[in-house]
Parts: sequence; C-alpha cells; structure tokens
Amino acid sequence: MRLNLLLAAVAALTLWSPEAATAQRPEPTVFGVFDADTMYTVLPPDAIPAIREPEYVRGADARAQMMPDEPVIGVAIGDDAVCWSTWHLDRHEIVNDHAGSRAIAATW
Amino acid sequence: MVYARSLGDTTLTLIVSGKLWRNSLIMMDEQTQTLWSHVSGEALSGPLTGRTLESIPSVQTTWKEWVAAHPDTRVLKKPEEIRSSRYAGYTNDPERVGIFRTFWLQDVMPAKTLVHGVATDLYAVAIADSGLAAGTERKVQVDGETITFFRDKDGGVRARDGQGDEIPVRTAYWFAWSAFYPHTQVAE
Repeated sequence: MRLNLLLAAVAALTLWSPEAATAQRPEPTVFGVFDADTMYTVLPPDAIPAIREPEYVRGADARAQMMPDEPVIGVAIGDDAVCWSTWHLDRHEIVNDHAGSRAIAATW
Repeated sequence: MVYARSLGDTTLTLIVSGKLWRNSLIMMDEQTQTLWSHVSGEALSGPLTGRTLESIPSVQTTWKEWVAAHPDTRVLKKPEEIRSSRYAGYTNDPERVGIFRTFWLQDVMPAKTLVHGVATDLYAVAIADSGLAAGTERKVQVDGETITFFRDKDGGVRARDGQGDEIPVRTAYWFAWSAFYPHTQVAE
C-alpha cells in the first residue's frame, strides 16, 4: 500500500522546479466526506498516469531489468503468474491488467 | 492491493483520481467516474457508491523470491532508467506517517511497522511482517473463525480461512491499516 504518493509527487515536482513551487504548487481542497473522513483533491485526474495497456517481459528475459532485491507485487492464478515492480508502480500507481482469465488492477 | 475490475458485464479501467482519503490513493474508473478506495476497495462517491471491488490474493515480496517460485512469470516491462524507489526517503523515515491528520492506534505498534491484514465485514486481524519467518505459519482465532497466516515459498504472506480457502491479505503500514480498521485484533 502506498500512502501520500500524490503529495510526495507534488513535493518532488517542487524540488525540481523551485519557481513552480511558489507559483503553481496545488493546495489540497476538500472534495467531500466518506465514513466521517475527508476526501481531499491534490492533483487533477490522471496527472499520475495509470497503465492501461501493459507490456511484459517473461522469465529469463526479465532478469535483465530487475534487481534481485527489487520489491514486487505478485499474483498467481492457475498457471499464470504476473508481477509488477513497486519501483515501477511508483510512477503509475495502477496497472490495468489480466491474470488467468480475470481482469484485475494492481494498485500501489 | 490487487482488485478484480469487472462488475457484472462491465470491465472498469481504473486511473489515479488525484484525490486522497485517509492519506491513501483514491482511484476513479473511466467508465462511470466512480471514486474507489485503493485500500478498502469501497466506492466512495459516484454512480457505483455502495459497491466494493473484489480483492484478489496477492503478495509483496522480492523479485528473486518471486521468480524462484514462479520461473515463467510475466513482469511488467520497465524502462531501464527505473533502478530505485522514487520514495525511499518517505519509506525510510519513521516520522513521516501522513500529510493529513489521521488517527491510528499508536500504542499497539510503531506507525511504520509493516503488517499483513485480513478484513471482512465483521472482523479484522493483522500480523507484523517480522512475526512470520520463512516456512512458518500462525493461527489466529477471531470471531469463532481460525485464520492461518503463512509465509509462502515465494516470500510473500498469504492466509487461509477455517475451510482452507485462500483469503486475500493486504500489506500495509500499521498506521494506515489501523486508520481503516481500528477494531483490528493483532496476532501476538
């Protein structure tokens, strides 16, 4: 589970661009309340781009792109195993994917 | 967290809404604009309010452990320049636990303790990641049900219910988990 990703992304943007930090840093606004807790808007929809059409590498070919201790989220349904690097998910937060015959979303 | 994104005949495309609830991601589906909690799977606002996305069993582990157990695995193709976490500073700082004010059970465990939890409508139970060594399991009695957490051969933590069926485990920091599930029973 990732927390504060959006705010961290905002903070990272301000680090890269001090001018933007003062001029354009978005202020959270209250969107609504659910179950007694506030929902805040911090970025426009899709500012962090979810992956809609994932591409893969498999087995031995994947070793080249992965570090041994790289954290992953994995799902295995029947014979179909798929995993996503959380370092990669940092940039996207959601992957619209399939495993076995099921449409799934990996979220981070 | 992994969810089924089909509801009836509709397959949803989930995107990042730009909104936060309880310091965590709110997703939005492109088909109906409904907002969904990434932690609980609940619809928070929009046409599908009242629905909940089905959780799919998943694990958090390392690449070497996952590929050893699943040698033919697919991996999401990754740009070469991504060789580290973008948020290591956040991950490694025990003091950074949320941007917005939130409540959690501070006296039970340190905020950044990694836990594995199971939640249903009636109960929630969690176990600290450090409490499950390789090859071990832990049985927890809750509301007359026996939940068995175990460290799988792929390095992740999974759980079974009393009938032996796998139930989805969610992995989270304690402060986040307990903000969602304050009634959680913690496995000793």
